[in-house]
Amino acid sequence: MKAYSRLFKQFILRGLARERARSGITVLGISLGVGVLIAIRLANLSALESFRAATASVAGETSIQITGAAGRFDERLLKDLGWLRQYGRVSPVVEGYAMLGGTGSGSQSRGEFLQVMGVDVLSDRALRSYRLLRLSDDAGEPNLREFLLLLADPRAIVLTEKFARKHGLRIGGTVPLVIGKERREYTVRGLLLDEGPARALDGSFALMDIAAAQTAFNRIGLLDRVDIKLRGDGAVDTAEAEIAARLPGALKVTRPEATYGQVEKMIAAFHFNLGALGSIALLVGLFLIYNTISISVITRREEVGTLRAIGAGRPMVLALFLGEAILLTIAGTVIGLGFGRLMADAAVRATATTVEVFYIANAAAESVALHSLGWAEVALAFAVALPLALVAAMVPALEASRVRPVEAMRGAEKIAKGFRPSVRLLIISGALIAAGCVLSLPDAVGGLPIFAYLAALSLMFGGAFLVPNALWLACLAGGGFIGRILPGLNVEARLAGANLRGAISRVSISVAALAVSLSMMVSISIMIGSFRETVSYWVDQTLKADIYARPLMRAAASDEGEVDPEALARIKAEPEVSAVDAFTSRQVEYQGYPISLGAGDFQVLLEYGSLLYKSPGDAREMIRAAIDRDMVVVSESFSLRFRKRPGDVIDLPTPAGGKPFGIAAVYYDYSNNRGAAVMDHRTYARHFGQAKPNSVSIYLRPGADAEEVKERLAGATGDRFQMIFTTNQTIRREVIRIFDSTFSITYALEVIAILVAGLGVISTLIALILERRAEIAVLGFLGATRAQIRRMIVIEAVLIGAVSQAIGILIGVMMSLVLIYVINVQSFGWTIQFHFPSGFLIQSTLLILGVTAVAGLYPATRAAKIEAVRFAREE
Amino acid sequence: MPILNVEKVEKIYGGGRGGVQALRGVSFEVEAGDFVSVMGPSGCGKSSLLHLIGGMDRPTRGRVLLGGVRLDKLSEEELTALRRKKIGFVFQSFNLLPTLTVRENVALPLMLAGEGEPRARERTQALLERVGLQARAEHFPAELSGGEMQRTAVARAVVGSPEVVLADEPTGNLDSENGGQVIKLLSDLNNELGITIILATHSEEAALHTRRTIRMRDGLIERIIEHEGVLQTL
Repeated sequence: MKAYSRLFKQFILRGLARERARSGITVLGISLGVGVLIAIRLANLSALESFRAATASVAGETSIQITGAAGRFDERLLKDLGWLRQYGRVSPVVEGYAMLGGTGSGSQSRGEFLQVMGVDVLSDRALRSYRLLRLSDDAGEPNLREFLLLLADPRAIVLTEKFARKHGLRIGGTVPLVIGKERREYTVRGLLLDEGPARALDGSFALMDIAAAQTAFNRIGLLDRVDIKLRGDGAVDTAEAEIAARLPGALKVTRPEATYGQVEKMIAAFHFNLGALGSIALLVGLFLIYNTISISVITRREEVGTLRAIGAGRPMVLALFLGEAILLTIAGTVIGLGFGRLMADAAVRATATTVEVFYIANAAAESVALHSLGWAEVALAFAVALPLALVAAMVPALEASRVRPVEAMRGAEKIAKGFRPSVRLLIISGALIAAGCVLSLPDAVGGLPIFAYLAALSLMFGGAFLVPNALWLACLAGGGFIGRILPGLNVEARLAGANLRGAISRVSISVAALAVSLSMMVSISIMIGSFRETVSYWVDQTLKADIYARPLMRAAASDEGEVDPEALARIKAEPEVSAVDAFTSRQVEYQGYPISLGAGDFQVLLEYGSLLYKSPGDAREMIRAAIDRDMVVVSESFSLRFRKRPGDVIDLPTPAGGKPFGIAAVYYDYSNNRGAAVMDHRTYARHFGQAKPNSVSIYLRPGADAEEVKERLAGATGDRFQMIFTTNQTIRREVIRIFDSTFSITYALEVIAILVAGLGVISTLIALILERRAEIAVLGFLGATRAQIRRMIVIEAVLIGAVSQAIGILIGVMMSLVLIYVINVQSFGWTIQFHFPSGFLIQSTLLILGVTAVAGLYPATRAAKIEAVRFAREE
Repeated sequence: MPILNVEKVEKIYGGGRGGVQALRGVSFEVEAGDFVSVMGPSGCGKSSLLHLIGGMDRPTRGRVLLGGVRLDKLSEEELTALRRKKIGFVFQSFNLLPTLTVRENVALPLMLAGEGEPRARERTQALLERVGLQARAEHFPAELSGGEMQRTAVARAVVGSPEVVLADEPTGNLDSENGGQVIKLLSDLNNELGITIILATHSEEAALHTRRTIRMRDGLIERIIEHEGVLQTL
């Protein structure tokens, strides 16, 4: 061990120090890979954790909850539930969102959101810790009188100290809030210290009396849930079962943590895909490890032979080079953890829109507090990076241990034997690509497209094994080709082709790493491009209404806010309006997953709207038949997730318990991947009571100016009913904006992977130049100018870029098919039409050639500095 | 009893018809403390012979015994241990490890053998003084002249008190003055320490410093010449 540690210091550490540039590049590459991995984990955890913290702290000591099977329920149901008290303390809750401020008419701007909880303050104190509730500025403990004051005033509200501080609010002062459809001034009656529920949501939490909350939210007589704190401990399961058995069909028992579980399940595929994408950078980083150790072994072969001749055993040599890999990985991982922490903020920002739009409602996502870097992340980074690095380094390290001592005496061959086209490599590559095709066939495992990712991985390696043959071909043809199109570079190009051909076995690995990351970029770009085209086509086909209206409070992932009937009547009365489709949606649970249950006017939909139907062929006829019948149309993601087709019957929860509904048709929907079921508003009214629409599609008469009508409607209803009107054009722009922001992180991850691969190319070229000093010196003797040598190296870099991009496009197109037709369908449940982005591919090819040329500049400058005479003297 | 027995050794590189026969049945013995040179034109089999004696390669036929031990019977690990303990090497191109200082290069065999620190330091220092490199001890090989590098290599070869030192063209990359110094050093160490040295060389002058010269041609021993102790005692 002592001998090892000394030799490690003398042989490996000093070797790394001598090759500072190459060591630094490797460490940087690994650290970027680890950084991305950690950043994505932190971002994912942050989103979930802020949601869990919010759920948990708001739930307080609640052990179980009673909710309506179909959403909110009538508070009169509670009258028959007096027996619940024998299980423990009971507290009914009304919940919703308020927005600070409110806006002028027709404005799109939104203020800060607050989660509002309406409780019976007196009975709720047993469940939630408001111990430090402060009702007056003298900070005394609240007394009964003050509580009663809170109860008596429907405009009283209790905010958190943090929120009050942030907005300069004081006890006794007023705060303008938009709750439900109205904007009102509320009186701040008390402040919660930073504890219990007040900690949730970064202080964006408010407490009201339950009756006041019902009035404010326009939900008189309705409850969101009943929280129960059981007496004693340990009997939750029994109590849950007993209560469930006695509850009427319209109510059900859940645990507070169940909501968290649902959200976690829903977001799992999104997070899995982000993680898989993030791992690409790490994978490329590991190619770098392989590359660095290989170069180290190749360039020090003679030294290894000497060590062996002097008496170092094979295990010692193996351990030395594995130690080098471990050291580089540890350094990269430590720096990577720091990078990860830095990049996590950006990742949270980049994923916030997606999380907010698709998964967790507005307020939760807005207050995403960054998960801190803990031991779990440190352990994860090392647990992933170290074993992978050891695997990556094992092949070259074993090669080193097999160096025979006699090579020290003979003098090892410095340049590897010339590469000849290999049928074996072609067969391996073909087999991997075929395996990729086969692996894309199986279904998802637990909702995650694991086989599909293995398919993508197999295709990637198939591409990597294509590299040596492709390089050989490029060197043979490329030099001559460049010489023909740029006669001025004829000599340099031919030399570059010949040089690179001689070094194929050296450069193949780093070219493969670049090709792999480019293939990922190509595939993801094709997928996103196709997706964008599909969404854009879908928007064109389905967004037919001229104006859309919704309450200001409405957010995509919640069913907050409703359109006032008076506002609806005002819209319908507008002379230039020819039809109005008021759409209602609420969140219900289907087979343990939250889905959207919607209601619209099927008659208007048939006449004016146009959904894109996936099946059946006569969907419009089916919809006509579904008017006022117990039938629904479901979104494609619903159909794929729950494996339902037209003609199947599904059980949906209604206030009167589960009811069967037939599926009339399946439609394409890219606005929601949770799955949606939509019924005619007449059907909805029969089961759920009169619909309270939360969005309205407005169709105008021919010739009407949408912008003018919008302004008029906004002027008449916007300020009074807190509604937003959007024209068709604006909403299309908004859809594309959300789309682009959703995928911005994807591009960022890809850029990092390419950056890492680019580092690999630089480090390989530097190593090649060191090895070829003698040849370069000879070129100098023969009269080559420095500029010519520089150009020669840059052309080699460009040849490398060209081969990488060619393979990247070939494999990338195949992987895009897996992404589009397997991974997306399995993860998100939507079909994307394939679209080949030829313009993008031409652009990116030119970019890659440019980038590799730039990457070649530094090694080229080093090569040009080799002084022929001095080198000859040294030799 | 001879320290080295080479018995009917043949070595063929590459199999089949295209194989190159480097040694065609070579036999000789070397007594402990002897200083033997192996001479002959390029490709006559000198280096192959040294590789077989050093346990770095195995004969196709015949056997090599070092201190009575048959090298062909040893495993890879045992051969490594044998090289560590019983053999020292001096290469034509010095083969110093560039990241180790002169002192560290010399101490390397002791370190690999697990020699205790104080003794290793003492022994290394003594040899550095013996080869006249104490002033250069903390330098790296790249900072040395060719002669200094080869003297470092000689010190490294003998630091572990091996039974046999194999020197493969040690003067091949040196000018005549430095080459002469290295041969003189080897000769002195042979006299002072009684280490057996086998020297492969092209240089007639170098061979004159040895006690015997084995002349080889086309993989066979042409003749063995005894030098009657003229130059080696100088």
